[in-house]
Amino acid sequence: MALLQRALFAGLVVAIIMWYLAGVGLVGAFADREVVTGYLSLGRLMLLTPLVIGGYAVARQAGSVGRRLTIGAAAGGMGGTFFAVGILVVLALSPGIREVFIRINDTLIEFLLFGLDPVPGALLNVALGIGLGLLGASLPVVPPIVRRGLLAGVGGMVLASMLEPFVRPRLTEFDLHDVVLFLYQDQGLLPLAAVIVFAVSALLAIAWRPARAEVQRRYAAADPGAQRVGRWVALLLLISFIVTLPQFTGVFITQVLVLVGLYILLGLGLNIVVGYAGLLDLGYVAFYAVGAYFTALLTSPTSSLGIGLSFWAALPLVVIGSALIGLFIGAPVLRLRGDYLAIVTLGFGEIARVLFLSDALAPWFGGVQGILSIPDIIGEGSYTLPLLGEIKGPAATYYPLVGFCAVAAFIAWRLKYSRTGRAWNAMREDEDVAQATGVNIVNYKLLAFAMGAAIGCLGGAIFATHLESVFPGTFNVLVSITVLAVVILGGMGSIPGVVFGALALIGLPELLREFAEFKLLVYGAVLMLMMILRPEGFVPDVTRRRELHEAEGEEGEDGEDENLENPEAERTAAPSQA
Amino acid sequence: MTVATMDSNAPAEEQGILLEAKAVTKQFEGLVANREIDFNIPRNSIVSIIGPNGAGKTTFFNQLSGIYHPTSGQIILDGIDISNVAPHQVAQLGVARTYQNIRLFQNMTVLGNVMVGRHVRSSGAWFSAIFRLPRIRREEEAVEQRSFELLELVGLRRRVAHELAKNLPYGDQRRLEVARALASDPVLLLLDEPTAGMNPRETRRMTEFIGRLRNDLQLTILLIEHDMKVVMGVSERITVLDYGEKIAEGTPEEIRANPRVIEAYLGKQATA
Repeated sequence: MALLQRALFAGLVVAIIMWYLAGVGLVGAFADREVVTGYLSLGRLMLLTPLVIGGYAVARQAGSVGRRLTIGAAAGGMGGTFFAVGILVVLALSPGIREVFIRINDTLIEFLLFGLDPVPGALLNVALGIGLGLLGASLPVVPPIVRRGLLAGVGGMVLASMLEPFVRPRLTEFDLHDVVLFLYQDQGLLPLAAVIVFAVSALLAIAWRPARAEVQRRYAAADPGAQRVGRWVALLLLISFIVTLPQFTGVFITQVLVLVGLYILLGLGLNIVVGYAGLLDLGYVAFYAVGAYFTALLTSPTSSLGIGLSFWAALPLVVIGSALIGLFIGAPVLRLRGDYLAIVTLGFGEIARVLFLSDALAPWFGGVQGILSIPDIIGEGSYTLPLLGEIKGPAATYYPLVGFCAVAAFIAWRLKYSRTGRAWNAMREDEDVAQATGVNIVNYKLLAFAMGAAIGCLGGAIFATHLESVFPGTFNVLVSITVLAVVILGGMGSIPGVVFGALALIGLPELLREFAEFKLLVYGAVLMLMMILRPEGFVPDVTRRRELHEAEGEEGEDGEDENLENPEAERTAAPSQA
Repeated sequence: MTVATMDSNAPAEEQGILLEAKAVTKQFEGLVANREIDFNIPRNSIVSIIGPNGAGKTTFFNQLSGIYHPTSGQIILDGIDISNVAPHQVAQLGVARTYQNIRLFQNMTVLGNVMVGRHVRSSGAWFSAIFRLPRIRREEEAVEQRSFELLELVGLRRRVAHELAKNLPYGDQRRLEVARALASDPVLLLLDEPTAGMNPRETRRMTEFIGRLRNDLQLTILLIEHDMKVVMGVSERITVLDYGEKIAEGTPEEIRANPRVIEAYLGKQATA
C-alpha cells in the first residue's frame, strides 16, 4: 500500500513537471530541434526524461527487483496518465484555458498527442509512461556499466545533433559530402547514424574507466622521470588542442569560445573570493565593469582621457587600478559576514553600474552612450602566428584570452597550494579560529578582494577590446549571478570546475539558441538541484579526490553508485519517510 | 617590564612567571563575567581553571587568547602586555589553544589543518607563492614535514592526513586540534576541556599525553577541565572560579580540602 502511494505521488510530481516544461514553452521551443530526424526531438526527450527519473527515484528504495520494476512502471504509468488526462482537460476547456497559458497552442497539443487523435494519443502517453517508468526502474538494477553506457549513448546522440551546424560545414569543407549525407538529415541524425553514434558513445563510456585506471596504474608504476615526461606530453597535447581549436571550429564556435573564456576568467577571479576565502561577493560585476571602463578610458582616442594607449600598455594600469578598487570595496565590508556581506556587495555592484551610467559622470564615462572606438587587442585587426598563419576575427581575441586564462589559472593554482591559500581556506571555514591560529584576517580578506578584482578586470579589459566599445547596460547584476553560478556548478574552490561551469552555463546555451528565453529559468532550476543533490559541484576539488584515490582506489568517486547498490542502507538511514 | 617578578603570590620557581593576569575584569553589558581576577602561570607548569558552568572560565580563556579584551586589568605574557592585542598577534607571540566544542577547519584536510597552525611560524607571501621561489619551496616542505611529525606526536596515523577533518572520529578530532595548536610552536598552550566527551580510556590517554607534552616540548599548559580526575591528576596548581570571581587557588590537595570550593560545586548544604 505504501508502495502504491509512493508511485501515485511520484506520478503526480512527474506529471506536474512535464506540464510545467510544456506550459512554459520549453518543450515547444525544442520540438523542432531534432535529435533523430522524424523520431526524436530534443523537446520530446526533455518531456519524457521526468518519467525515467520518476521511475528511477521510486525504484531505488523499493527492495526486490520485482517490486522495483513494478513500482517504477506504476509510477511511470501514473505520470503518463496524469499527463494524458491533463491534455484531455486542456482540450475540453479550450479555448478558455489557452488565454491564460499562451504557450499551449495547437502545435504543442498536436506534438503532445504524437499527431494522433485525442484518445489514442492519450493512451500512447500512458503506454510510454509505463515503458519509461520501467526503464527508469531498471537503472538501479542493471550493472553500473550498462547504466553508464546508456546515459553516454543518449548524451552522445544529443551532442551530435546539437553540433550539426558546425560539423556539417566543416565536413563539407573537407569534401566529405557522403559522411554528411550518412549522418544528418536537416538538423537531426538519421536513424542508422543515431544507432552508430549511440553505440560508439556507449562503448567509449564503458571503456573509459578501465582505460583510465590502466593509464593511472602505469603512471603510478613508472619511474619519476617517465612520469614527468608523461605529464609534459599530456600538457602539450592539451595546449595544442586548445591552440588549434579555432582553426577547425569556425568563426561562430570561436565566438562562443571567447564568451566562455571571458566567464572562465571571471569565474577564476570570483573563485578566489568565494571559493577560497569564503567571502560571498554578489557584486563581482563591478570589477568586470571597472576593467572594461579603465581599458576604454586609457585606450580609446575618443574617451575623455583621449590618450589612446595600446591595449598592452594600458593593461598594467588597469590591473593595478582594479586591485585598488578591490581594496576600496573590500575595506568597508571587512566586518560583515555571510548574508550581510552578500547584500552589501550586491549593492556595490549596482553602484558601479549606476555610476558608469550617470549623467553626472557622463563627461568621463559617456553615460548611456558609453565609450566607443576602443582599439582591438593588437591594434591591427589581425596578426600572424607561427604555424597557424593569419589570425583574424574572434580568433584574434581568442588567443590572448586563452593566455590570460592560463595565467589566471596558474596564479589560482599556485595560491591554492600555498600558505596564502591555506589561510584563506581557514578563514572560510571559521573566521574566529583562523584569527586565533594567527591569520591576520583583515589582510587576507583585502588580499582576496584585490586578487579577485585584478583577475576580474582582465575579463573586462578583453571584453572592451573585443567589442571595441563599452556600455553601462552590459554590467548588470545578472553577470554577477551568472559568474557565481559558474563557480557553484563546477564546485567552489575548484579550478577545473570553473572551466566546466563556464562551458556548461555559457557554452551550451549558445549552442542551443532556443534556450535564450529560458536561460534564467534553467539556471535557477540547475542551481537549486545542485544545492540539493550535489552541493560540492560537478568537478569538486581535485586534490582531495586524488588523495583519496591513492589511499582507497576508486571509492572516492563512486559515491553515487554505492548508494544505488545499497538501497537497504538508505532505507534504514531515512526511516521517517516510510 | 619587571611586573612578573614583583608578584608576591608567585611561587618561588626559578623559571619565573610566564603569564600574569592582574585584576582582569570583563563585563558584557550589565553582566560581569570576570571580576578582578589575579592569576598567574609559572613557566613550564600545568595549571587548571575549574568552576561550575557559567563561572566565567571560557571568557577568561578568550581574553588570554586575544578574542576578548578585558574591560579593565592587564594580561602580561612574558613581559608583554597583551590585554589589547589582536588574536592573530597573540598567536604570533606564542599562545595557542583548543576549543571546548571542537572547532576544526572542517572542510580542509587533516594535514591542511595542522599546516594552517604553522602559519605564524612561516612567512611566504602571495607573490612569492605564485613564483614559488626556492625559499618558499623549502619552507613549504619544512611546514609539511613538521606537520606530519605533529600528527604522529598526537597519535594520528599518516594515512588519515589527506582525509577531511570533519570525517575523523571524535577523539581524533580532539587530537587534531592539539596538533594544530602545537604547530605554532607555542610557549603557552590553552586547552579548553580537552577530555570532554571522551570515554575513560581516552581520557586517561589524553591526561598522560598532556603531561608528556609539557615535559617533551617544554610547554606551559593551562587547562579548563570538568573531569576532577584529570584536574587532580595532571595539574600542579588549580584556580577555582565561581560567578566570575576567583574563590580559591592552590595545589590539588589544598583545593580538595577547601570548603568554599566544595560549596561552589555541591551547594551550601553539603558543607553545613
